[in-house]
Amino acid sequence: MSLLSLQDLTVTLDTPEGPATVLDRVSFDLAPGESLGIVGESGCGKSMTALAVMGLLPAAARCRGRIDFEDQDLLTLDERALCALRGRRIAMVFQEPMTALNPVKTIGFQVAEGLRWHFGLGRGEAEARALKLLDRVGLPQPRFSPDLYPHQLSGGQRQRVVIAMALACDPALLIADEPTTALDVTSQAEILALIAEVTAGSKMALMLITHDLAVVWQNTAAMLVMYAGTVAERGATAEVFARMAHPYTRGLLAASPGALEDILPAGRRLATIPGQVPDPHDRPQGCVFAGRCPRVADDCLPCPPGERLLVPGHAVACLHPHEGETPS
Amino acid sequence: MALFLLQRLGTLLITLLVASLLVFLVMEVLPGDPAAIILGVNARADTLAALRAEMGLDRPAWERYLLWLGGLVTGDLGRSYTYGVTVWELVAERIGLSLPLALMAIVLSTVLAIPLGVLAAARRNKAADVGVMGFTQLGIAIPNFWFAILLILLFAVHWQVLPAGGFAGWDAGFWPALKTLLLPAVALALPQAAILARVTRSSVLETLGEDYVRTARAKGLSRRAALWHHAVRNALIPVVTIMGLQFSFLLAGTIIIENVFYLPGLGRLIFQAIAQRDLIVVKDLVILLAASVVVVNFLVDLLYAVLDPRLRGGGHVL
Amino acid sequence: MSSETRVASLREFWQRGRGQANLMIGLLVTLLLVALAAVSLFWTPYPVNAIDIPAKLQPPSAAHWLGTDQFGRDVLSRIMAGARNSIAVSLVAVGIGAGIGVPLGALAAARRGWVEEVVMRFNDFTFAFPALLSAVMITALLGPGAVNSIIAIGIFNIPVFARLTRGAALSLWQRDFVLAARVAGRGRTRITLDHILPNIASLLIVQMTIQFALAILAEAGLSYLGLGTQPPDPSWGKMLNEAQTLMFLAPQLAIFPGLAIMVTVLGLNLLGDGLRDLLDPRLRRLR
Repeated sequence: MSLLSLQDLTVTLDTPEGPATVLDRVSFDLAPGESLGIVGESGCGKSMTALAVMGLLPAAARCRGRIDFEDQDLLTLDERALCALRGRRIAMVFQEPMTALNPVKTIGFQVAEGLRWHFGLGRGEAEARALKLLDRVGLPQPRFSPDLYPHQLSGGQRQRVVIAMALACDPALLIADEPTTALDVTSQAEILALIAEVTAGSKMALMLITHDLAVVWQNTAAMLVMYAGTVAERGATAEVFARMAHPYTRGLLAASPGALEDILPAGRRLATIPGQVPDPHDRPQGCVFAGRCPRVADDCLPCPPGERLLVPGHAVACLHPHEGETPS
Repeated sequence: MALFLLQRLGTLLITLLVASLLVFLVMEVLPGDPAAIILGVNARADTLAALRAEMGLDRPAWERYLLWLGGLVTGDLGRSYTYGVTVWELVAERIGLSLPLALMAIVLSTVLAIPLGVLAAARRNKAADVGVMGFTQLGIAIPNFWFAILLILLFAVHWQVLPAGGFAGWDAGFWPALKTLLLPAVALALPQAAILARVTRSSVLETLGEDYVRTARAKGLSRRAALWHHAVRNALIPVVTIMGLQFSFLLAGTIIIENVFYLPGLGRLIFQAIAQRDLIVVKDLVILLAASVVVVNFLVDLLYAVLDPRLRGGGHVL
Repeated sequence: MSSETRVASLREFWQRGRGQANLMIGLLVTLLLVALAAVSLFWTPYPVNAIDIPAKLQPPSAAHWLGTDQFGRDVLSRIMAGARNSIAVSLVAVGIGAGIGVPLGALAAARRGWVEEVVMRFNDFTFAFPALLSAVMITALLGPGAVNSIIAIGIFNIPVFARLTRGAALSLWQRDFVLAARVAGRGRTRITLDHILPNIASLLIVQMTIQFALAILAEAGLSYLGLGTQPPDPSWGKMLNEAQTLMFLAPQLAIFPGLAIMVTVLGLNLLGDGLRDLLDPRLRRLR
C-alpha cells in the first residue's frame, strides 16, 4: 500500500503567451518509510511535482490526474483540509535556507509555529519541544539559543532549522527540494547525512529532489529521472545506475561532475547535452527528448513513447533505449 | 548599528547647520530694513538708529549669525517684533494645536492606509484591490485644501455637526477642542493615507512573493495567517520609511490646512510671519520645522532596529 | 532598457497602449485640458474678467453653465483661463526642474567622486525642508506672483530629477554596451548623450508627467494662499480661496475649480502610470 500515489498528473500554467505544460502525465508511488529520488535538469518539472503535492502551485496552475495521499485525492481537497495536511502530514525542506526563514522572527518561534498551529500548543510547551527539535537536528543548547535570528546562523545551520521545522509535527512524508544546492560542500554532506539519519528507521517517507545524480545514488532506494515534465526512466537506484537505459539518463551521468568517482573513472571529461529543452508552450508531438537525442529515429517523432518495463522494477520511456550495463 | 546611528546623527547635525546658514543668508539678502518696517516710513533717523542698535542690525552679518545660532543652541530664540513676545512663547502657545493635529493626522492615515494596503495586496486584481487603488488615485489627486473645503461644506454648512473653523482651545475641554481639530486632521490625513496605502500594497505584494511566506504556508498556515504573521511585518519596514518622509509633507500641509480652518497653529504663524516680515520668527520656525523633520527621520532609523533584527547587531554563532 | 531595445514606432505604441484603460483615460483627460486651455486663448463663453454685478452669484444655468462668482464673472470662462495658467506655471516649473536636475544627475553619475557627493548632499539637504514651506518662503520673500511661484516650484523639482537621473544612469554605466563605448575611447559626455540619456528618456517622461501633476497641486496651493497668480488673472487656487468666504451663500463656487484640479491631476497621474506600463516592459510582465 502506498502513502503517496501520483496518477497521470498533468499541470499547465496559464501564461500571457498561452497555456504552458509543465508536467505531462507523471505517475509514481511512494510507500511509507521508502525513499525516492527525483533527478533532472532545472526546469524539468521536479520542483513543480513537489509543489503540486504540497498544494502550493502558483494560482495560474491547472492540474489534471490524481494525487492520492493517505487515500485522499489531494486535488479534490479544499484549502482548509490542505492546510491541515501541510506541515502536519507532509512537510517540505526548501532549496534556499538563506531566504526560507523569516528574517524578523527568532528560530525558536519559527520551529514552534507549526506545533502551535497544528496541535494548539501553548507558547511555553511549543518552545520546549522546539528546543528538543533543534537539538535533534544538531543545534544543541545553549550554543544555539532559540532566541537567535536567522541572520546569526550560517547556511548549513539555517538549513538545520528548516529541517527542524519540517520534522516538528512528525510528518508521514518529507519532501526535500534541492536541500543542499545552496550550501558549501561540507555542509552538503552534513545536511544529507542529517536527512538520512532522521528518516532512517522511521515510517517517514522521503522524496528527495535534486539535479545531482550523486545525491540520488547515495541517499535514495528508488529514483525517477524527469525530463521536460515527463518521467524518462525509473527504478531501484542501484538497478538504474547499473543499466541506464534512457539516452537522457546517460547524458546526465556524462555531464555530472565529481562525487561519482566510485562508479566513474577518474579524470574523465565532462560532456554536455547539446540542444535545449522544448518550449513548454509548444511541446513536440512525439518524444520530448527527440530534439537532443543522439539515438533519435523516425519513429520517435509521431507520438510519445510509452513507458516499458525492462526488468521488474526498472522502466524507461524510450523506443530505442540503451541496452546492457552503464559504460564506465 | 550604533556606529551607523552616530554617523546619521552627525550628518543630521551638519544638515541643520547648513540649513541655518542658508535660512540666515536668504533673510540677509531680503530687501528692506526690518527696523524701518517696524517704525514705518516717517520714523526719525535717530529712533531708527537706536532700534537698529537694539536689534543688533548694526553689527556685521557673521556676528549676528553666530549670535542667532548661539541663541538657538541655548534656547534663546529672540523676540518677535510684531507680537512683542518671545518666539518661545509664540511657539509654546501654538504647538499645543499643531502637534496634536499632526499626531491625529498621522494616526488617522496609518489606521486607514495599512489595512487598506494589506487588503488590496491580499486580493490582488480582485474587486477590493481595484476599489482601494481607485480610492488612492482620487486621494492623491484631491488638493488637500479643496478636500478641506468640501468637508466644511458637508459637515459645517450642510449638516452643521462640526465647526467650520477656529480652535476651541484645550481650556474648553478635551472633546470640544478635539472636535475643532477633527476636520483639519481628516483633510491632512487623506492624501497621506492614499500614498501610504499604495506603498503598503506594493510592499506586501513584494513580501508575499518571498520564500519565507511559502515556508509558512508549507507549515500549514492559512493564507491569512501567513499574510499577517509573516508578510505584513516584513512589509512594514519600507512603509515606515515612507511615513518618516511623509512627516515633512504633513508639516507643509499644516501651513495650508491651518489657513483653511483659521487655526492659530505653527503653520499659520509661519505664514503670517513671512507676510509681516517678522524675520526672527521666520528664521526660528523654519529651523524648528527642519529640526523636527530631521529628528523624526532619525527616530525612523531607530525604529528600523526594532522592526529588523538584522540591524540590531548580534554576531554569528560559530 | 538598453541600446539594443528597438525604438518602437508611434504606431506600435498606439496599438499596444490602446488596450490600457489608465493610459487612454489619462490621455483623454490631458488632451481635453490642453484643448480647454488652448481654446481659452482666443475664445471663452464670456470675457474672463467681465464684471456683471446684477448677475452675481448665480447658480449654474443655460446662460452660465457653471454659474457666476461674486462679481458676476462667468465661472466656466475663468476655469478655462485658469487651466491655461495652471498648465503654463507647471510646464515651466517642471521644465526648470528637469532642465537643471537631469544634467546634474547625469554629471554625478558620470563623474562620481566629489561632484556626486555635492549633488547628493544637496539632495539630502532639500528633503529636510518641506517643499511647500520653502515655496511659501520663496514666494513670500520674492513677492507673490506667477513667475515667482514658477521659480519656487521649479527649484524643488531639481533634486527629484537629479536623484532619478543619477540612480538610473549609475546602473547603465555598469552595462556592457556602455563599457564597450568606454573601451572604444568615447568621452563621458559623448557616452552620456549617446547612450545614457536615450535609455533613461522613457523614465524621465514618466516622472515629468507625475511631477507635472504635483506642480498643478503646488500651484493651486500657492495661489490659494494668495502667493501665486495675482488677481484679476484667474487661477483655480485663488478661485477656491474666494469661494471659501462665500461658502454659505454660494457653495457651488467651491465645487468646480476643485473638481478641475482633481480631474487634471487624476488624468496626469493615470497618464503617467499608463506610460510607465507602456514604456517599461519589465514592469508590464509583472502585472
